[in-house]
Amino acid sequence: MDYLEFKISCTEPFREILIAELSEVGFDSFLETDEGIDAYIQEDLIDREAYQEIIDRYKEAGKIEVKEGKMPKVNWNEEWEKHYDPIFVGDQVYVRASFHEPRPEFKYEIHINPKMSFGTGHHATTFLMLSHQLTLDHSGKRVLDIGAGTGILAIMAHKLEAAEIEAFDIDEWCVENGNENFDLNGMSKVRMGKGTVREVNPQGEFDIVLANINKNVLLDEMEVYSGLVKKGGKLLLSGFYEHDIADIQSRASSFGLSLLAQKTKDNWAALILEKI
Amino acid sequence: MAKEITGYVKLQVKGGQANPSPPVGPALGSKGLNIMEFCKQYNARTQDKMGQVLPVLITVFSDKTFEFVVKTPPAANMLLEAAKVKSGSAEPNRKKVGSVTWDQVKEIAQVKMPDLNAFKVESAMKMIAGTARSMGITVSGKAPWEV
Repeated sequence: MDYLEFKISCTEPFREILIAELSEVGFDSFLETDEGIDAYIQEDLIDREAYQEIIDRYKEAGKIEVKEGKMPKVNWNEEWEKHYDPIFVGDQVYVRASFHEPRPEFKYEIHINPKMSFGTGHHATTFLMLSHQLTLDHSGKRVLDIGAGTGILAIMAHKLEAAEIEAFDIDEWCVENGNENFDLNGMSKVRMGKGTVREVNPQGEFDIVLANINKNVLLDEMEVYSGLVKKGGKLLLSGFYEHDIADIQSRASSFGLSLLAQKTKDNWAALILEKI
Repeated sequence: MAKEITGYVKLQVKGGQANPSPPVGPALGSKGLNIMEFCKQYNARTQDKMGQVLPVLITVFSDKTFEFVVKTPPAANMLLEAAKVKSGSAEPNRKKVGSVTWDQVKEIAQVKMPDLNAFKVESAMKMIAGTARSMGITVSGKAPWEV
C-alpha cells in the first residue's frame, strides 16, 4: 500500500499542534524537519475533509504551506540488508543471506533474505527463540509460527524435521518475504498466511507453538495460544523484556501453561511453557 | 573510544506501533540502520504508552548502529486531553474551544520539564500556556505568580 507524504512548513509552536491534531485523524508517525513536519498516512486511510479542516484552521496563524507527494512501496531496509554479518547460534546454526558464503560444516544452515521483515537472528529475541528450539524435539511434530516475520523460526522447525508447519503474519511484506525464504530453504509446500491468530484461526492442536511478537499482543492472545497447544505440548514466547517475565508467566499460568525454561540476552527474554 | 555520531533523526511515533513504513522506514533506512531492530525496541519500550504519539530522538553512529531516547508526549496532545476537546480553534484569539486550569498547566509543565528548555516550572508553565493560547484553549483564573 502506498503512503501519502505531506511536507508541512510551519512556525515552531504549530509543529506540535499539527502533530497532536493530525494524529487524531489517522496520521500515526511524523518526521520533525527544520521547516516543520513531514506527516504520513496510508493512502486508503486518509480522511481528506478532516485533514484539510486542520490545515485550514491553522494556515494563517502558523504560516502553513504544504507539499503533497506519494511514497511508493519499497524496501526501506535495503541499505542495511546489503551488508550485514551472518549469525551463529552456538556451533550448530548458521543464519545467512544470499550474499554470504554457504558453511556446510554447520548442522543447520538457514537462508534468509529479509526484505524489511523481522527475523534475521540479529535481534536477541530471534536468537533466544532459535536457541530454545534447539533444545526441543521437533521430529515428526506439528508446529505453528505466529507473527512469523521472515519465517526464520518456521524454517528452523523444518530443519529440525517437523512434520507439519503453519506460519502467518499480519504484514503483507512478511507474507511475501516469508514465502520467498521458505522456497530458499526447500519448504515450497509451506505457504505463509496473513492475519492475526484470531483472523487466521488455525485448526487443531499443535505440538509446538512459536510466537515472537510483543508483550501486549502476547498477553492479549495467550488464551488463544493455550487452546492451540496440545497437552504436554510447548509454547515458546519472546518479544518482551526480562522485567516482563512475571506478567507473561502469570497470564500463561491462568491458561494452564507452566514455565519450563527461560533464557535472557541483552535484557530480552524468551520462555518455554508447557501445556499441563 | 566513543563512537562517532553521524546524525540525529527526530520522529514522533505512536507508542507500541512503530513499523517500517514512512517516515520510520525512509528516515532510518537512508542512514543504513536496521529499521526492524528499531521498531522492535521502540515498541517494547513504549508498550505502556500504546497509541500515544511520542517524540523520539535517534542518535546515529558511524558504524550504522543507533541509540534512542523517548521523550514526553507533546504538550498539545496533553492540552487537548486536559480541555476534553478534539481540536483547537481556527481563530484562537476570538473563538475559544475550551479551557484548562493553571493546576492542569502546572501538571503538564511538570511532565514536560525534562524536554523543555526551562529551568523553572514557572517558565515551563508559560510555554505550555502559550501553546494553549495558540490552540484557542483558555487558561482560567490568574497565573500563580500573579496572585
